[in-house]
Amino acid sequence: MSKIGLIIKREYGSRVRKKSFLVITVLVPLLIGALGFLAMWMSIQETKKVNVLISDPGNLCDGKIFITDTVNAPAEFYFVNDVIAEDEFQVADRYQRYDLLIGIQPEVITNKAIKGLYREKISANTEHYIRNRIELRLEEYFALDQGITLSEYRRIRQEFNFKLENIDPNIQDTTPAQIVGFIFSIFIFIFIITYASQVMRGVIEEKTSRVVEILVSSVKPLQLMMGKIIGIGLVGLTQFAIWIAIIGVGLVFMRFFAFQDVMDPAVFAEMMGPANGTQNDLLDQQAAQSLKDSELIYLIYQGIPWGTLISLFVIYFIGGYLFYGGLFAVIGSAVDSETDSQQVMMPVMLPLMFSYLIGVMVISNPGGPAAIWFSQIPFSSPIIMLQRIAAGTVSIWELILSLTILAATIFVILVGAAKIYRTGILMYGKKASWKEIFKWLRY
Amino acid sequence: MEVLRVENIQKEYAGHKALDDISISTKKGEIFGLLGPNGAGKTTLIRIINQIIGPDKGKVYLDGKLIQRDDIGKIGYLPEERGLYKKMKVYDQVLYFARLKGLSKHEAKKRINVWFEKFEITSWYNKKVEELSKGMAQKIQFISTVLHEPELLILDEPFSGFDPINAQIIRNEIMELKAKGTSILLSTHNMNSVEEICDSIALINQSKLVLNGELSTVKESFRSHTYAIQFKGMMFGFANALFAGYSLEHSEQIDEDRAIAHVKLLKGNSLNDLLKTVMPVVDIESVNEVLPSMNEIFIQAIQEKKGGNNE
Repeated sequence: MSKIGLIIKREYGSRVRKKSFLVITVLVPLLIGALGFLAMWMSIQETKKVNVLISDPGNLCDGKIFITDTVNAPAEFYFVNDVIAEDEFQVADRYQRYDLLIGIQPEVITNKAIKGLYREKISANTEHYIRNRIELRLEEYFALDQGITLSEYRRIRQEFNFKLENIDPNIQDTTPAQIVGFIFSIFIFIFIITYASQVMRGVIEEKTSRVVEILVSSVKPLQLMMGKIIGIGLVGLTQFAIWIAIIGVGLVFMRFFAFQDVMDPAVFAEMMGPANGTQNDLLDQQAAQSLKDSELIYLIYQGIPWGTLISLFVIYFIGGYLFYGGLFAVIGSAVDSETDSQQVMMPVMLPLMFSYLIGVMVISNPGGPAAIWFSQIPFSSPIIMLQRIAAGTVSIWELILSLTILAATIFVILVGAAKIYRTGILMYGKKASWKEIFKWLRY
Repeated sequence: MEVLRVENIQKEYAGHKALDDISISTKKGEIFGLLGPNGAGKTTLIRIINQIIGPDKGKVYLDGKLIQRDDIGKIGYLPEERGLYKKMKVYDQVLYFARLKGLSKHEAKKRINVWFEKFEITSWYNKKVEELSKGMAQKIQFISTVLHEPELLILDEPFSGFDPINAQIIRNEIMELKAKGTSILLSTHNMNSVEEICDSIALINQSKLVLNGELSTVKESFRSHTYAIQFKGMMFGFANALFAGYSLEHSEQIDEDRAIAHVKLLKGNSLNDLLKTVMPVVDIESVNEVLPSMNEIFIQAIQEKKGGNNE
């Protein structure tokens, strides 16, 4: 095995065999998976049904709420054509099975006031649902009162299918995918900062323990530095691969065991809203609407270009890691202990933090000038580009240009880093300033 | 046979001369002492020989050929600033260093077993370095340095950190390697060990080579022609007998009528002349030449240099 191969093997092996690596590598995806499952499960869970008693002395509703036959209706309606006193509702045994009392006075036609009394606070979603159903029913009553037929009214009431689409039919802009892009860029940020700073810690460890003097009598400083950077980078990729595998297996498992019904293609079609013109009936439309709650599940299984995002994640992680890893190696070689490193780290941490902030700004405008520029500038491109990819606002030449600029910068950084590193690792007992560090470039 | 030859090495750091025209050479089976006060440039020279840094001028030859990157496997280097990976197991660590020096896995494992058995430390295989004492770690470092059987062994302060027993073990190992033909470059401040084990020395001071040569020749050049004479008789009479051709440097009474006197010969007088002069007044019991110790040579050479600079 070549010397650099031996170094890579040691750097990789010593980290992968650590218990902390194993714990983080297995626990994090399980945690993510568990939280994801919880979110998806809750999105389709039946909440406790609220029993609504409607006191309707004027019989305006005619004892009916039309649109209640959805899968997970959060409330059920009961009618009494009489006035119910508040204190009676509160104490009387026969009303205890109702959670909410709503009084519809005949004057509602003019004063448009409806009052309800609950026993326990009702969730905003359920409240919205109840209000929506009662309003619909009363609107129908008003319509009939004004001489408009029920079917005419329902046609007026039906929402327009309002849709904005990209002029390029090949590009599908989806906001949730953008958010996923942002999540990926956060991950890249975390991965870069975690593993690049491990490079720094590794260099400091070798320097402070003075192993480095023994090592450089056997290998070139460049081999030592590159072996370390590559070895640690491979640890990062290993961790990412394991995460992807665990999360992937988890998602497939959940799909077949937990969300089998939801994943039925027929249900899916419905879930994605009314197809053009086929669902004129308000009843059906409302039913579809309520099912859209589990859009999250659809998004995770069908809406995200996982393959593209994962492969570009790997490429940009490698790029960003080499960029910052080289700089962190320089810092490690220039300081004598980890506590000394904080100050020297500032100029390297700033662009990284800045890229993260740009990333937050770019979510809402992935095609804007900030996004375009910072997806080309090498210190931020690994973090910003993934977001633009997810948003679908990147042309292939932009991607190639960004990667080319990044590769060229990495080359310059690594050549410079190797020169500084060579001198820095043998300087004991002093903390170098950036001025001195630049001087080492010429040694 | 010459193993290492360093020719006219110069090295400058940001306007400060670290090494100025240094030339030394070591032979097969020889222990060569590289001496000098702190900051004289010894470590810089050693790093240049190890190709850790390059010289501004001058050349380094190994076995008569200009040194190449691959020659690193022929050199063993125990730095003064030495350490090990704290979290790594002893066995893995020695194996790692051996493989970096170019040994195959199989060969490295075989030799590790031999050395660990020799030092009776096979029970340390699975210990982490942080569990070892400083002396134990030093032994591991020594083994790592010699495991690949280098032609040239460079030891920077090899005895520091060892208790006398372990220092003796290491000294014996060094002598054994010398006997097998290894050329050893030893950098140390411990002048006693220089005197005991070095065949040749070089003294560097303020980046310049001040002394260079075989230990006996160097000592010869620092001879002061002083003799220690032990006698029976009166010190008073002894001193009176010495005239202008001798100088009484030092005297010491052993008991009532016996003493030792250090007498320096002046003006081309010989030991015979001295003896003739004092024999009539005292009974001579022994005569020995007083040779300068390495410690004295070291201090003298450096002070002469300082004096020269001041003029």
